[in-house]
Amino acid sequence: MTRIARLVVLMLALSCANANAGPVVIGSKAFTESVILGELATQMLRNGGIEARHQRELGGTAVLWSSLRRGDLSCYAEYTGTLRAEIYAREAAGTDAQLAALLQRDAIWASPPIGFNDTYVLGMRKAAAQKLSVMRMSDLVSHPGLRLAFSNEFLDRADGWPGLRAAYGLPQADVRGMDHDLAYRALAAGSIDVTDLYSTDAEIAYYDLVTLQDDRHYFPAYDALFLCRADVAPDVRKVFEQLAGTIDAPTMARLNAQAKLDHVPEAKVAQAFIRDALGVESRIAKDSRSARLLRRTLEHLSMVGLSLLAAVPFAVALGVLAFRRPRLSRPIFAVADVLQTIPALALLVFLIPWLGIGYAPAVTALFVYSLLPILRNTHAGLADIPQDLRDSADALGLSSRARLRFIEMPLAARSILAGIKTAAVINVGTATLGALIGAGGYGQSILTGIRLDDHALILEGAVPAALLALAVQWAFGMLERRWVRVH
Amino acid sequence: MIAFENVTYDYPGVTALRDVTLSLDHATTTALIGPSGCGKSTLIKIAVGLLIPSRGQVRIGEQALESAHLAALRHRIGYVIQSGGLFPHLTARENVTLCARHLRRPAPWIAERFQALAELVRLPGDLLDRYPGQLSGGQRQRVSVMRALMLDPDVLLLDEPLGALDPMVRHELQQDLRALFDRLRKTVVLVTHDLAEAAFFSDSIVLMREGRIVQRGTHADLQRAPADAFVRAFLAAQQPLPPLHD
Repeated sequence: MTRIARLVVLMLALSCANANAGPVVIGSKAFTESVILGELATQMLRNGGIEARHQRELGGTAVLWSSLRRGDLSCYAEYTGTLRAEIYAREAAGTDAQLAALLQRDAIWASPPIGFNDTYVLGMRKAAAQKLSVMRMSDLVSHPGLRLAFSNEFLDRADGWPGLRAAYGLPQADVRGMDHDLAYRALAAGSIDVTDLYSTDAEIAYYDLVTLQDDRHYFPAYDALFLCRADVAPDVRKVFEQLAGTIDAPTMARLNAQAKLDHVPEAKVAQAFIRDALGVESRIAKDSRSARLLRRTLEHLSMVGLSLLAAVPFAVALGVLAFRRPRLSRPIFAVADVLQTIPALALLVFLIPWLGIGYAPAVTALFVYSLLPILRNTHAGLADIPQDLRDSADALGLSSRARLRFIEMPLAARSILAGIKTAAVINVGTATLGALIGAGGYGQSILTGIRLDDHALILEGAVPAALLALAVQWAFGMLERRWVRVH
Repeated sequence: MIAFENVTYDYPGVTALRDVTLSLDHATTTALIGPSGCGKSTLIKIAVGLLIPSRGQVRIGEQALESAHLAALRHRIGYVIQSGGLFPHLTARENVTLCARHLRRPAPWIAERFQALAELVRLPGDLLDRYPGQLSGGQRQRVSVMRALMLDPDVLLLDEPLGALDPMVRHELQQDLRALFDRLRKTVVLVTHDLAEAAFFSDSIVLMREGRIVQRGTHADLQRAPADAFVRAFLAAQQPLPPLHD
């Protein structure tokens, strides 16, 4: 038990290590440009003698913003358009002065603009656009049959597709949500016609795409800048002020292309930029494949293990309670059923205000998803004990505790173990989402691999995850044969 | 020793026992007999507190059977069912001694008592550490009787204990059980649907029908003076069949 307790303390310490006292923590979103900017900031800070850590590829604006407010992150790269349309969507943030006032109110410091405007544009294959003579967004009105696919974020956010459609009166009915990187491939393959792009995307040239002119000036400016908590050290601000205006849109697109198309790691892309632009050589840690795999495995195992460790006693106790008190079983199962249906990403984002980013929310989410299978199997295992055995136990005059311990639990053990196995296997899969909130694990490789279109990297995450699921199955099979008597 | 006073038991939609009053003396063996659904098993389940009567009450000795001291009362009652009711995850020894260990009886006492019971039911020592799944039906019932007798109860309730056994095993166990009852001098209640078995074991037979006691007496009483047409028909039905061709 002490070893487990020590592990718990270690994990909690890791997840709390983001507090103000520790290193400066730079966050980045799960797309290449944000990762490069995050890497750039981290290296610049280190070059300036400031201890800094990069918490890379977190799952979206909501995750980063709430982590920044909460103090899990010190800084991250954001866009003015996102601030206005999303973070401060319900506030008056139209003018620069209004925006500055809101940031000051929330104790956030904004760096001067980095130098490029990464706004949304719509992209088509050049050949298709020429054939239909679509050059401006308003030209889309006369082609209602075009197939549109947008990143899920763009599809949902008010300043994305819903606003764009209203502004131009777009008639297309075939509109679907798709991962940003998959959308490029679908566009290249001709299975969709139009998608949303960023103006600094590396793929525009690579896939020979044209960007449609925003002739009604629907999209606002998305000037890149760094947001920091107002309580960061003045030295940190100085570094970001130094970066002001150093990267224009073509430069950013070139850096993106190096990472995305030439598969240069972001750390090296940033290192090269700093060397060329500022003449400083930053030191970057080497990350061998085996070291990375070991780290990811430990992260993944600790997420799955900790969540199960907590969930097993809790869910088994709930299962016993539901069995013993039939009146309670309905509400208990109703709550567990509802928890199970919450989408993982939604649950993770929901947990951030309380638990921050990293292990704590990931383990909590996995804990929640473990409850139902274990609870259900505990209840079923107890309910399936034949009536004559139950009568015999009663007639012996055992106390209800003794009956539970010596008769009912052993007889239900097989079913309970099967429930724990189910929960463990589900958790191995679900834990890959932990990467979205900075908990690492095999999901990190998958996430990065999808972003960079790097199949080897995707497999580096997916194959161990599948093997781990199989290992879990096998281990529980062994446990079952050893512990649970065949009768 | 056991007294049922105006006991009625209702299952949802069905009344299994109607106003049954029955008193069983100490150190007697009584057989409850009757057609399926007559209420004989329900009566025995009420005696061990597995079912709570809808009306009326049960006394064990001087004590009313109430949920407050059910566990203590159950230690004075041994209960054996048709399937044996042995816990499949425990060995024969563990099954028999479970309750005594739980009550923290001294280990030497448990060992001695267990040994005596094994001799009483004539179970060879090498079978005692097997799991129920590794024993024959007759052996399982012997273990089940051991378990019921472990705490030396005043009352032994047997619900068709031989019903699932083949005739030869059954015959052997009948002999052994009767010898055992004679020796132990306990209040025994045996549920059976076999009149010959009832006659073989018991001092008195209680014949039941549709939740009521129809007649109580020895086998000879029943044959000499059947209380009504049903008793006559029940006795006739239990006669061996005549050969088809004489």
